[in-house]
Parts: sequence; C-alpha cells; structure tokens
Amino acid sequence: MRPVYALGAGAHPWGKWPEKPQLQLALEAMSAALADAGIVWAEVQGLVAASSRFEGGMGWGLHANEVVQAVAEQGIPCINVGGACAAGAIALQTAHALVASGQYDVVAALGAERMPKGFIPRPPGSADDRSDNDFLRWVAMGATNPAYWAIEARRRQHEHGTSERTLAQASALMRRNAGGNRLARYRDPISEEDVLASPMVADPLHLLQICPVSDGAAAVILGSEDYVRRSGKAAVRVAGCAVGSGQFGDPARRIPTISSTVRDGVAHTSEVTGAVRAAFELAGIGPEDVDLLEMADNSAWHILAWPELFGFYEPGQGDWMLEQGKLAIGGELAINPSGGFLSFGEATTAQALLQVSEVLWQLRGEAHGHQVPEAKVGMTAVLGLGANGGSVILTR
Amino acid sequence: MGEAAERFVVEGLVEQTSAGPRLIGSRCRGCGTFYFPQKASCPNPACTDKAPVAALLPDQGTLYSYTLQRYQPPPLFRMDGWEPYLLGLVDLGEGLQVMGMLTGVKEQEVRIGMTLRLVTEPLYCDDDGTAVLTYKFTPAGTAL
Repeated sequence: MRPVYALGAGAHPWGKWPEKPQLQLALEAMSAALADAGIVWAEVQGLVAASSRFEGGMGWGLHANEVVQAVAEQGIPCINVGGACAAGAIALQTAHALVASGQYDVVAALGAERMPKGFIPRPPGSADDRSDNDFLRWVAMGATNPAYWAIEARRRQHEHGTSERTLAQASALMRRNAGGNRLARYRDPISEEDVLASPMVADPLHLLQICPVSDGAAAVILGSEDYVRRSGKAAVRVAGCAVGSGQFGDPARRIPTISSTVRDGVAHTSEVTGAVRAAFELAGIGPEDVDLLEMADNSAWHILAWPELFGFYEPGQGDWMLEQGKLAIGGELAINPSGGFLSFGEATTAQALLQVSEVLWQLRGEAHGHQVPEAKVGMTAVLGLGANGGSVILTR
Repeated sequence: MGEAAERFVVEGLVEQTSAGPRLIGSRCRGCGTFYFPQKASCPNPACTDKAPVAALLPDQGTLYSYTLQRYQPPPLFRMDGWEPYLLGLVDLGEGLQVMGMLTGVKEQEVRIGMTLRLVTEPLYCDDDGTAVLTYKFTPAGTAL
C-alpha cells in the first residue's frame, strides 16, 4: 500500500432541513470538501458514497451516481456501500483502498442523510415472524433502542458504581464541546442538573443522554502524496483505516436482537473494538499516542464505556477520567471535541465521515472554537446495524 | 361459553408444557451452542457441523441487567392499559442471555442477580377477543 492523505473535508451543518433534499445536502458537502482540498470536480477520479435507505439513491442506494449525474458526468467509478450507521466508515475504507492501491490519485468519500421523523420504520418486505429480530423485539417486548443502551448503563452502575451524576456529566461535556462548533445542531450549554431534570426515557438514561436524529452531510477527499504536496495544506495522513464485523460470543446488547450467546474472553462491541485494534496495528501506534477520539456516543453510557473497550484505560476508570476533566478539550484524551452524536443528532450514514472531517480539521489546527491544543493524532470509531464497525486514525 | 381463545404474539417462541411454559430455542448438534429464538444455522466460526435443532431452554435464570421503559414504543408494540414496564436481560445459563419483560416485581424491588422464572401473560386482546400472550420473567417463588 502507498501512503494516503486526507486532502480536504466538508460538511453541511447538522439540523432539520425540510427545504433541502438529500441530494442538495450531498452537493453542498462535496463543494465544501473540494474547496477545502483546493481542487475541482474535474480532478476527482472516483466517488464512494454511503448508501442510505431513507432518501435518495434512486431506490437502489445509488447515492454516488446521483451526485455525479447532478454535477460531474465524467465517467468516474461510482461505488455505493452499505453499512447502516457505519456506512461512512466503509465508504472511507473503500476510498482509501482505491488510492492506496495506486489505481487512483484522488477519491472522495461521501455520506448525506435526511432522517425520517419519529421512530425509524422497518424496511419494506420484512417478515412478520420469529425469523426477524426487528419484528420480535417490538411485538414481544417493545424494546426501544434506548432500552438496549440503558441495560448496558445499568449493568455498568452495578459493576463499577457509576453514578447518575457522572452519566449526566458526560452529556454536559458533549454540549460544552459543541458550543464552539458551528456544524453542531445543539450548542447551548447544559448543566448536570438540566440533564437529570430532562424526562427519564429508559432508566438510568434521560432524554438529554440519548442522541436524537438529524439531517446532515459530510465528505472527505483522499489523495496521493503528490496531491497533498500540491495543495500546500498540512499533510495529514490516513495512518490506519479498518472496518470489521462482530465476533461470535460478544456480550454486547446488539440492537435489534433479543438474546446474546455469550462466550468468555470475547470483546464487548467486538465489531468496533476489532476495527480499532486493526487501525492501531496499521498505524503502528497505541492508545497512548492518541490526542483525540471521535466516537459514536449514541448515549452517555458510550462516552464512559467505549474508550475502556478500546484500551485507553482500565474498565471502570472512565468515570474518574471524566470527573477529573481528563476527557475534556485540553485534557489527557479529548473525547468528541466536535460535541459528538449527543450534540449533532445522528444523520446515520453521514456520521462517520463527519468524525473523520472533525479529526482532519483538528490536526490542521482549524477547529476554531473547539480546538484540541497541539493535536497530532486523532482516531474515530463507529458502529452500525448488522454488527458493522469502523475506525480511522489520522496523523500529521 | 367455551374457554377464551389465546395465541402468542409470534408463533414458535414458547411451548406450553405440563410443567409450565418454556422458550423454544436451538441447540447446535455440532458445537452444543444454545440460541434464542431458533436459528437457521450456527454462527460459531469453530463449528463445522452447523446443525441447529429445536430445543427447550431453561425456565429459570438470573437477572443480568434491566431498565424501565418509560415511553410507549411504536405501534408494532401493543399493550392494553399502557403503563411503563420493566425490561430485563436474563442469564439462562448455557451461555445464553435473553431479553424480556418483567412482571410481578416493582422497580424498587428489582435486584441484579435475582432468580427469575419464565411465565406467559396477555399483552392485549385482539378485536375478536383473542388474548395475545407474550413471555415474561417473574421472581422465582411468585405465584402467578
């Protein structure tokens, strides 16, 4: 593999955008990314898009084709990849491979999403019988997504004595980080008291400890060494980039299943921990080298648990790290300086590319208002339906 | 008047035996792994036989974790007389953890590690008066 660099990134702010179709969000994110990379559409040699099941893609998830047919019919390969909430990471992995192989010099990865209102509906054609977990979890017990995260959080309280206040502190930190990020949807500061006063959704998780859904789009342009030199921007390298799927025996409460077959010694959330481990190996670095981590905080529990699962510190230590301010911007390991899913709301297929964009800007020192001081190494981690995991490490 | 009609929310999840209800899962003839609900194959990568057959699961287990579902789930879920309910993750042994509603226990009384047993209860009544049942877990020793 030859070295691959992040030439530029762009994003449409997260929010609810009823007046803008999904394609419009995609085009704006791509324009911003091209401008950031200092290149034009004619130089893009390939486009990898995260396929969405909600809007766009001509009903077949052909989101890359739709974009080039709108803005640049130049014969380039259009690759569309699925991976639910991890699709952005799979798009980046694919774009990386296309450049690393030497076949192409400039390839863009794109995710653009407009989320439906309310509960995410089941896909058409699903079977109404016991073969379909997503049917079973609703009809047999009404297990909402927050209930899965709440069951993890409650177990953590049992094992590590995590307090309600510490779980509230995680949400407050995310909002404080988002305060300086113009791309985040929720930027007003919230206190621990505000979090604890918000309605209880699934004990011990309150409304402000669970990520909502949003519309948003992000694109990252990868290129060869020649291109990054020509751009005149700081050379930020994709030092590690990996995707993975779940391991047999994983004890995580995997949505939407209603049971787990658990085996001793298997990592929790193995699809993500596996991708993280592989990204570390490719980059030849370890947790101690990382300055910031952009990770999928679907709930406040994730903020405490995930870095432990990735080996940043011991199980149970996340509470202390948070309470001591070590996970804040300027602390030992900045977690989600962007503000995370809790401040953005999840625009599913776009989320992993927003994470990579954030890390790129942080390493260039361009994360105005939420900059991690002297950030040199940043990592992302994301999880998607179907036990998809992805992780990216950028270094400068 | 005959006995009121009953059915389960989903066929093939629960078997009513003379000794009470049991969950129907699978046990792989090759590697011995238990699954719930029944599986078409065996996802254990070390298993070469991939031969799951229907098996009744233990009807008692211990509570691994739980939550109180405070808001009403979307319409696929139906429940007469909606009110918040406890959802538990129950360790049945054999390396198998199963999620289900809890009954016969208040939130203040729930303890991780408590022994639970399987029961069935009506969730709602169909338009034709059929009682639609699901499986739940209740503290062992509770008459229900």
